[in-house]
Amino acid sequence: MSSPKVGIYGFTGCAGDQLMILNCEDRLVDIIGAVDIHSFAMAKSDNQNKELDVAFVEGSISTEEQLEHLKDIRSRAKVVVAIGTCACWGGPQAMKLEEGGFEDRYGGVYGDANITVTKAFEAQPVDAFVEVDMKIPGCPIDKTEFLSAVSKVVAGRHPYFYKFPVCTECKWKENPCILNEGKFCAGPLTKAGCGAVCPSHNIPCVGCWGPTDDLNLSGEYKLLVEKGYDTDEIMRKFKKFGGAGIAKLIKSMKDEQRGVSE
Amino acid sequence: MKKLRVILDEREVDGNPFQPDMWRIVRRYPLTNDVNFYQARAVDVDRTLLMDYLPGQFVMGSVSGDGEAPFCISSTPSRPGLLELCIRKMGTLTETVFSLKENQTIGIRGPYGNGFPIDKMEGKDILIIAGGMGAAPLRSLLLYALDNRDKFGKITYLHGARTPGEMLFREEFMQLKERDDLACLLSVDEDDTGAWTEKIGVVTKLFDEMEPIDAANTYAAVCGPPVMYKFVIQRLVGLNIPKHQILMTLERRMKCGIGKCGHCAIEYLYTCMDGPVFTYWDVLHMKELIGKGVSDNVIA
Amino acid sequence: MMILKMKKEDLSVFLETAKEWGELWGPTRKGERIAFEKVDGLSQMDLKATRTMIPPKKFLYPQRFTMFDFDDKGYVERTGHAPNRILFGVHPCDIHGIQIMDKLFLEEFKDPYYAERKEKTLLLGHSCIPDDKCMCTETYTEFIAEGFDLFFTDLKMFYLVWVGSSRGHDLVRLKPELFSRDIGKEDILSYNEYRKWKKSQIQAETDFTGMPDIFELGYDSLVWDELAEKCLACGQCTMVCPTCNCYNVVDEVELGTVDGTRDRFWDSCMFREYSLVAGGHNFRDKRVDRLKLWYTHKLQAYIGEFGEPSCVGCGRCVATCPVDINVVTVTEALREQEVGR
Repeated sequence: MSSPKVGIYGFTGCAGDQLMILNCEDRLVDIIGAVDIHSFAMAKSDNQNKELDVAFVEGSISTEEQLEHLKDIRSRAKVVVAIGTCACWGGPQAMKLEEGGFEDRYGGVYGDANITVTKAFEAQPVDAFVEVDMKIPGCPIDKTEFLSAVSKVVAGRHPYFYKFPVCTECKWKENPCILNEGKFCAGPLTKAGCGAVCPSHNIPCVGCWGPTDDLNLSGEYKLLVEKGYDTDEIMRKFKKFGGAGIAKLIKSMKDEQRGVSE
Repeated sequence: MKKLRVILDEREVDGNPFQPDMWRIVRRYPLTNDVNFYQARAVDVDRTLLMDYLPGQFVMGSVSGDGEAPFCISSTPSRPGLLELCIRKMGTLTETVFSLKENQTIGIRGPYGNGFPIDKMEGKDILIIAGGMGAAPLRSLLLYALDNRDKFGKITYLHGARTPGEMLFREEFMQLKERDDLACLLSVDEDDTGAWTEKIGVVTKLFDEMEPIDAANTYAAVCGPPVMYKFVIQRLVGLNIPKHQILMTLERRMKCGIGKCGHCAIEYLYTCMDGPVFTYWDVLHMKELIGKGVSDNVIA
Repeated sequence: MMILKMKKEDLSVFLETAKEWGELWGPTRKGERIAFEKVDGLSQMDLKATRTMIPPKKFLYPQRFTMFDFDDKGYVERTGHAPNRILFGVHPCDIHGIQIMDKLFLEEFKDPYYAERKEKTLLLGHSCIPDDKCMCTETYTEFIAEGFDLFFTDLKMFYLVWVGSSRGHDLVRLKPELFSRDIGKEDILSYNEYRKWKKSQIQAETDFTGMPDIFELGYDSLVWDELAEKCLACGQCTMVCPTCNCYNVVDEVELGTVDGTRDRFWDSCMFREYSLVAGGHNFRDKRVDRLKLWYTHKLQAYIGEFGEPSCVGCGRCVATCPVDINVVTVTEALREQEVGR
């Protein structure tokens, strides 16, 4: 059996996830041995554009040029895996997704300058444009979670991801609940998989893994309001990493509130 | 067979109850377009002989890399040696099972669950109502009763499927119609083949074809898709079959099969240990089931 | 049961000697984080801490561990790696919790992973200082008569030490000169004083006795919906509960091979995935159904089946839930038909 053909691509983002893959020092040799890497812009120069078994895509999509490239990858790959929070949810650059007004913000930065390179648009996650078979979120991705998923993906199997929020892993680490200290913590809204690294250092979760499968946004919102948090600040924090996932939830939360007040 | 059960109990005490044994698939073929039939025998032949079970029990099937899930047993303990499973392509694990070919192995441990109360059913009339995948566990009961024909009273088997092509074991059941020691009534919701010779209509229609029953002396066993239960139970209660003699098998998520992982808990009962066969009287007492309507929680 | 007397200042020496048997673990405090950790000796422990974040269940079935290694030939059990541990400072409620877990894991279909760890753990209990979240008098778990190897009751000037097992006795025999059987009238009086003091410390009033009927009557109560609206489904209550045993199992594969491990990790009935079956049907899709399951399991079904709740009154859910959903507030809400603040 020949090794699966794999490509690794980066779009709008910090390339931190590709760096994390290169940083799997002790396992990098295994990875290279197990798969046939056809394209990895960050680590390899002779990148070929051929049929792929698996394409890992990092970063959000924010220009026409990127969109073309993404569509090309999708057409060549059997399986497309979004890696990192930008590719999965949009990342911080998608925090205003739910508010709209991209043109104004763009104009505010570039004014009337004659931009000749590719046309830009509001950054969006990969699955806003093409079908994504799997998401491995994180800012950056977690080595253990990534390797667990990759081992299965390249074998044509379905990986398993924790479907509970950060709080559960946080309790596994026996940390006191940061919310109970009266501080903002996005743990209950956020996908686990990071090993609760931040709360384990007494730093509140900022939600970088993106929204978890089953979360209670309005419940957390009300709790934070009760704790005296400013509503704008709460929303800003929700949106920071949540991107497309949170935008959808905020919309339904607002609809719900409107329904109640009417 | 009694002696074998003793050996089995000893194994359970001494060994790791989570340890799957490897079973070799000796035969597999499609029953419908998304259900495959598997016959397996243990790689270690002694294990095959130890696999002493009751109709209605289940095994935990393992594919390394994809995990474990419960599967009801379709074969009868009265024909030992081979274990038969009907597996529907439903998710990660079953997808891999579908890719397995003859002579490949899967992990099996069990049998688990209470199974049908055969001791109590002996000497009674048996009425079996199967819908869709519900035929998988009920085939075990039916074949068991037929193999021990003298021990049971009248046997009636009602089986409904959506179309002829979706009827599990269609040929096998058609052949049973030729026997004169049971009533085997088959129906399909719609006949897309034009060649169906049996009833057309929902499974409850078959009740009208049935000879009168001796309700107090009858055990009914039901398994089928959620929508079926409400109507079938109505008919059975209408026939005055005592509620504790109406048997149904439930499906739940299970990760262990032996009362440890918690997933199949319904109040204080574990579907894996106290079930999967419950009486309608049990079900009436389970608030969580009734709260959502019987049908929601009972699956083929 | 054999009860011995020991000087307070001898405890340190005793524990030092006991380390001959295995690793010493005890309650430690780092800021607000209280946890059982491996320690060198008594000086690193905080015996005044009321409750650790996670109960000692983590020693008997860790948060995540490997059950089997597998390859194309089959599954090989992974046991035999648990170290000998002495767990010092376990409170009565947590020992009651372990007894409930023993019933589940050690009786029918004995769990070899739990059994091995239980076998290799010596439980050295210690009396506690209750706080406003404790409710052990309501669950009859404020004292403990069995289920430990040794139990130390701190009577200010000295310890009374209950010897609960043969292995506990073996520890005593390592330094018999530290223990005496010379128990006089004053000692009995001060033990009695201690019992009265402990009971008086519990402020919570959570009458669990009527719960099976209250739960039955209130099954469709809107109180549940109101609670579910607040519930963050974060799973913390189940992780910290000494009697929550649910777990999930997942296979991990080694890259580029068919080898791998079958791992087991703590799960929670508060999660949507918990009751999801292949094909997509979910038996408890709504948060309210999941919340009901937890509470009816602990306080209705368990009482109905065994005559006592599977709550040991440790107060961990009271201390942990960020939105105040716990055995106290839920039972009160059901009794009063109103969700308190």
